[in-house]
Amino acid sequence: MKKSTSTSSVHRFPAWTLGLIGILLVILVPVLYFLRTDDPSVNPADYLPEKPVHVDHSDIVKGDFKTGQDVTRACLECHEDAATQVMGTTHWTWESKAFDVAWRNEPVTIGKINQINNFCIGTQGNENKCMSCHAGYGWEQGREAALSNPENVDCLACHADTGIYGKGTYGNPAEGVDLLAAAKSVRLPTRENCGKCHFDGGGGNGVKHGDLDESLYFPSENNDVHMGGELNMQCTDCHWTKDHQILGRMLADNYTIDPKEQVSCEQCHVDQKHKDERINTHLSAVACQTCHIPAIALEDPTKVYWDWSQAGQEGRTDDHFTYLKIKGEFVYDKNFAPTYLWFNGNNEYRYILGDKIDPNGITYINKPAGSINDPTAKIFPFKVHVAKQPYDAVYNYLLQPITSGEGGFWTDFNWDQAFRLAEPITGLKYSGQYGFATTYMYWPTTHMVQPAENALQCDSCHGPNGRLDWEALGYPGDPIEWGGRK
Amino acid sequence: MKRTTLIIAGLLILTLAIGLGTALASPQPAPASQASPIHPNFPLLDKNGENVLTSGGAVSTMQTCGQCHDTKFIQSHAFHSDLGLSDYQVTTEFNASPGTFGKWDPLTYRYLSQPGDERLDLSTAEWLMLNGARVVGGGPAETSRSGQPLESLPLSAKNYETAILSKNGKTEAWDWKASGTMEMNCFLCHLETPNNAARTAFIRSGSFGSANTGTLLGLGVVDYDGSTGAWTWNPEAFNEAGEVKSEILKIQDPTNANCAACHGEVHTGTEPLTYTACDLDYPQTATTGQVISAQKISLSGVNLSGKNDLNRSWDIHAERQLQCTDCHYALNNPAHATEAQGNNPEHLKYDPRTLEIGEYLQRPDHNFARGQSAQFNVAPELKGTMRRCDSCHDPDKGHADWLPYVDAHMAAVACETCHIPQMYAPAIQSYDWTVLTAQREPVKTCRGVEGEPNQVTSLVTGYQPVLLNRKNIDGKLLLAPYNLITSYYWVYDDANGNQRPVRLLDLETVFFQNGSYAADIVAAFDANGDGALSNDELVINDAAKEELIKTKLTALGLNNPRIEGLVQPYSINHNVTRGENAVNDCQACHKEGSRIFQPIKLADYAPNGTTPVFDANNNVNASGEIVTGADGAVYYQPVPANDGMYVFGSSRVSWVDWLGALMFAGSLLGVLGHGTMRYLSARKQARGPKRTERIYMYEPYRRFWHWLQTTSIILLLFTGLIIHRPDIFGVFSFRGVVIVHNVLAVILVVNAALSLFYHLATERIREFIPRPYGFFDDAIVQAKYYINGIFKGEPHPFEKRPDSRMNPIQKATYFVILNVLLPLQIITGALMWGVQRWPQIADWFGGLPVLAPFHSLVAWMFGTFILVHVYMTTTGATPLEAMRAMVTGWEEVEVHEPHAEETAEAKLDNDEKKEN
Repeated sequence: MKKSTSTSSVHRFPAWTLGLIGILLVILVPVLYFLRTDDPSVNPADYLPEKPVHVDHSDIVKGDFKTGQDVTRACLECHEDAATQVMGTTHWTWESKAFDVAWRNEPVTIGKINQINNFCIGTQGNENKCMSCHAGYGWEQGREAALSNPENVDCLACHADTGIYGKGTYGNPAEGVDLLAAAKSVRLPTRENCGKCHFDGGGGNGVKHGDLDESLYFPSENNDVHMGGELNMQCTDCHWTKDHQILGRMLADNYTIDPKEQVSCEQCHVDQKHKDERINTHLSAVACQTCHIPAIALEDPTKVYWDWSQAGQEGRTDDHFTYLKIKGEFVYDKNFAPTYLWFNGNNEYRYILGDKIDPNGITYINKPAGSINDPTAKIFPFKVHVAKQPYDAVYNYLLQPITSGEGGFWTDFNWDQAFRLAEPITGLKYSGQYGFATTYMYWPTTHMVQPAENALQCDSCHGPNGRLDWEALGYPGDPIEWGGRK
Repeated sequence: MKRTTLIIAGLLILTLAIGLGTALASPQPAPASQASPIHPNFPLLDKNGENVLTSGGAVSTMQTCGQCHDTKFIQSHAFHSDLGLSDYQVTTEFNASPGTFGKWDPLTYRYLSQPGDERLDLSTAEWLMLNGARVVGGGPAETSRSGQPLESLPLSAKNYETAILSKNGKTEAWDWKASGTMEMNCFLCHLETPNNAARTAFIRSGSFGSANTGTLLGLGVVDYDGSTGAWTWNPEAFNEAGEVKSEILKIQDPTNANCAACHGEVHTGTEPLTYTACDLDYPQTATTGQVISAQKISLSGVNLSGKNDLNRSWDIHAERQLQCTDCHYALNNPAHATEAQGNNPEHLKYDPRTLEIGEYLQRPDHNFARGQSAQFNVAPELKGTMRRCDSCHDPDKGHADWLPYVDAHMAAVACETCHIPQMYAPAIQSYDWTVLTAQREPVKTCRGVEGEPNQVTSLVTGYQPVLLNRKNIDGKLLLAPYNLITSYYWVYDDANGNQRPVRLLDLETVFFQNGSYAADIVAAFDANGDGALSNDELVINDAAKEELIKTKLTALGLNNPRIEGLVQPYSINHNVTRGENAVNDCQACHKEGSRIFQPIKLADYAPNGTTPVFDANNNVNASGEIVTGADGAVYYQPVPANDGMYVFGSSRVSWVDWLGALMFAGSLLGVLGHGTMRYLSARKQARGPKRTERIYMYEPYRRFWHWLQTTSIILLLFTGLIIHRPDIFGVFSFRGVVIVHNVLAVILVVNAALSLFYHLATERIREFIPRPYGFFDDAIVQAKYYINGIFKGEPHPFEKRPDSRMNPIQKATYFVILNVLLPLQIITGALMWGVQRWPQIADWFGGLPVLAPFHSLVAWMFGTFILVHVYMTTTGATPLEAMRAMVTGWEEVEVHEPHAEETAEAKLDNDEKKEN
């Protein structure tokens, strides 16, 4: 019989604790192993960029500001690199990098500064109005002068409270703006700052994009699940910005787009797995936007047709949605289904000024690239804008008129004059004869993402009421019967 | 005979003039355009085989389609057409066949009289007029019950097959040669836009021979002159060869819209869905609330409660673009050859020898694959030929990551139970034919809607189907969802001694006089004295009313009139939804008062106490009870235990819980009492330090397995309690608790097995075995100590030594615990878990209904044991000493004074061991 012989030692670890740990392990390890469920899904909100804390500038900024450049000078005192940073971005240059395109011998650049679209057509010679959306001042001095001076960078357009600051002609601050108050109000850009230009592009609310309009200032969750409801995300939450380089490229202002420079859902939604496995089989052929943006222009209508040939008529009453003397006839539409095309992120063609057109056919201002055989392409929603815009009947290229500029169509309603005045500015020779040709422009739909419950269902695309033209997309028939692309 | 011809002509002109006017203007809305581009052009032939362009007669589908397809084969292999005719047999019971032709449907009420019946209700002709909208043609629409063509039967008012009951109650002859009969109507299912409205108008007016041609109205092929009854074929619709142009007459595979013509609400468009509720023109929706639509419920146009949150489609298979024919296909369709494998030798997985498509198209078997619903019993030999959910879906893949016991669930519960959790359209609840409304209709109630159905102000709430066990074709018993429709009606014995339902004509005679309610009826039923009878008043709720009707019926010559009630189950198989909207919360079933026990209302009342009887002619186990609530309403209460179902957390055997609780409570009281007494008596005694020695009592392994056992058992008891009463412990996830319980059980078994091995190998097991010699004496000595001596501060009678640590009572207790209770608990637990793996072994013991309560009872015993055991450990030198010893191994043991009553044997042992 063993009697007490052990020397009790206070310092020694009681042996029975080992047994206790052993028991706990024997119980906990198997229990936890079997209780394990599916990997918890990653929370996309974890990927939102961290923003610097807001610094209130009301005590920092001092001084009497008479011009926009005065304000910029003050900003540059502390933010020394800001101007040079901005001047390296497309918000300043309004011009893409150089592209080698198949139909031109030399590289071309594309941007508002030198190319045209099928809305207000072109900015060259029309800087007085168009540059109210440029991130710089001083366009009355001309392009070279405006773009070369760092003090012309308009900090306030993106950073000031939009209730206090607005832009006027030639990119300068609007009449009557209190520049000091505006300068004191600076903060990180909000939807208001971006929306001031991007929601009203094309000459009015929601005209251009279809998926960007003033309804996104105070959207409901059903209008845009990111910008609405509790999330209330700002543009910069997806258009990540570093050193003023803003992520995201506009299709119409580029030929090819490097995916690294483009915003994508995967930035936050890293795990694409849906609960319904059948949806997961669609991921290789269908873009997120296709199912999650069921309709364009949910609340405010967007322009889908613009007939310049009707402009200038006497005696017709102006109505924003149907006819304006300066612009012509339009058709607006609201809450309609997008057009679906294969899209790999690039254009296969972008109209460069001077390209020859077939006046009896359709001219594509831009044409999205992709096909059913392109493994990087997915079915993507687009807003198509159709226009009838002027072209030179002899040289067979599209013309860019002076509209808001001096002597332009918007003052004198004279097309000839508008084209002649434009000749030295754009470099396009004008033969004296003009006509109107049909043009198409494709705008990718990527905003107004609706909550998942409102996403497209199976019968939205498949079946007798489906919205996809299978044969136009290159399928032999509905993939639900024929199978998907290999 | 002239009179009958006149009647027929009169009916023709009257009804057609009205009916066709509307019908001509509106062919069916265009369903999916699936026109087969390779169907050749064909001429339309009349019943003599002549091209209709020349003869100008009605088209004969058998002749026309029979040019290429074997129409004789098709017609003889089509239960849609046969409708029970081939199984028709005269009987004293109501039902002469299992199909629509011969089976009495209390909802439509009119009875197809059998040959030789005393009174005529429905003759074949009138049956066809009433039901013809849903009769495809052929079968009883062409052939008599003895297999003769109807047109060949000699005219006789006495023969119910060539008679008709006129409005004034007289039986008259029906001239089939004049009215024509209906061939199987290929156009109805195989045209893109068949004119079912025109066809139905013809049938309802009795001109059966025109029905098939009427299906073509509105397409520009043919016109009908109502006044002359002549058909005008439009030559523009035909090509030079006299064949009808295929752009005009598009022949196609049947689409959902074709099926909807007879079966009910199928919505294929994009406009917000609306339906007509509780209307037998849409039978599937009316009887069950099923709606076939791909649209999201939240986008529909129905005034549905909670609609905005219902983000799911009405029917997921419709959403995924399945057609009815994808599951209900022709049985010899080679495209579904995998299903039609038949009896292959064992080594052959798949036999690719199938019909060529051409052969199939010549003789397509129109016996379609069908399920095993409760309400459709025609051609019972074909039941269950349809593929089931698991033919396409693998339940393991879909459930394995969240459902414990997948196999056990699949073996007890049909897919429909969880995947059709709720119906979102109203369905018929009851029809009371014991009374008649002013429109000569029964008093109807509709479930799932507040207010009158089909009124825009009524709120549709939908309803939860009742869960009943269904006997599958393969013998398995599975829980499935149903709607129950109750009907009350009068029944009498006719002169031949047959039971028959009272004819509508006779009921009308009883209730009405000169076009309005008879005076005595008003007097009896008019409760509020306003002279009108509302639906609330039209109830036979006392003996007086019943007597009144009975007397009046007897006066008409109907013997022994009595009220009967019938409860009919209607299977629900459509409106399936995906997992996230299905029942996926364990506690929906595994808790007290769960879905499985949810009663369903049968009717708002039972006429004068007649309890309805559950229809036994189906594959549904009606093992529950029909109970009457306090408000007089009649309910069906499922009793799953009667089907041998035991649902953890929901089912329980109360006496087991009571007994267990009693044991536990009793022990608790005993322990508290004993402890209190010890405490009080200890205070009274002189406190002298007891002499103790520090002895190494428990080696490490013993302590380890003891505490592991303790933790496991306590956690098992805790998790077991949650599984038993999940509604009390709602905060825990049922699934998680079940998994933890199972894992712990395995730990327990392994621990016990290893410990058993240890004790066997070291022969220490001897200590646990009570020695029989002197056992009782020793036990009594020990007992006396606990009852008496312990309060006096006496020493323990038996010395506690490392090789003899347990007193006799302890040995006995542990013996029972370790050799009886623990193995029983383990075995019952393993069998309960193994219900899905070894169902036969579990069933041999009586299945879950026996195993589970037993397991619970033993659990109570373990709980009691732990209570007493922990208390008994306080009887050491100090209250916590024994527990400390079991942790550290060293115990301060009372030095043993030899006890006076110690037996000689024990003393010998003690001395022996002292020397070691």
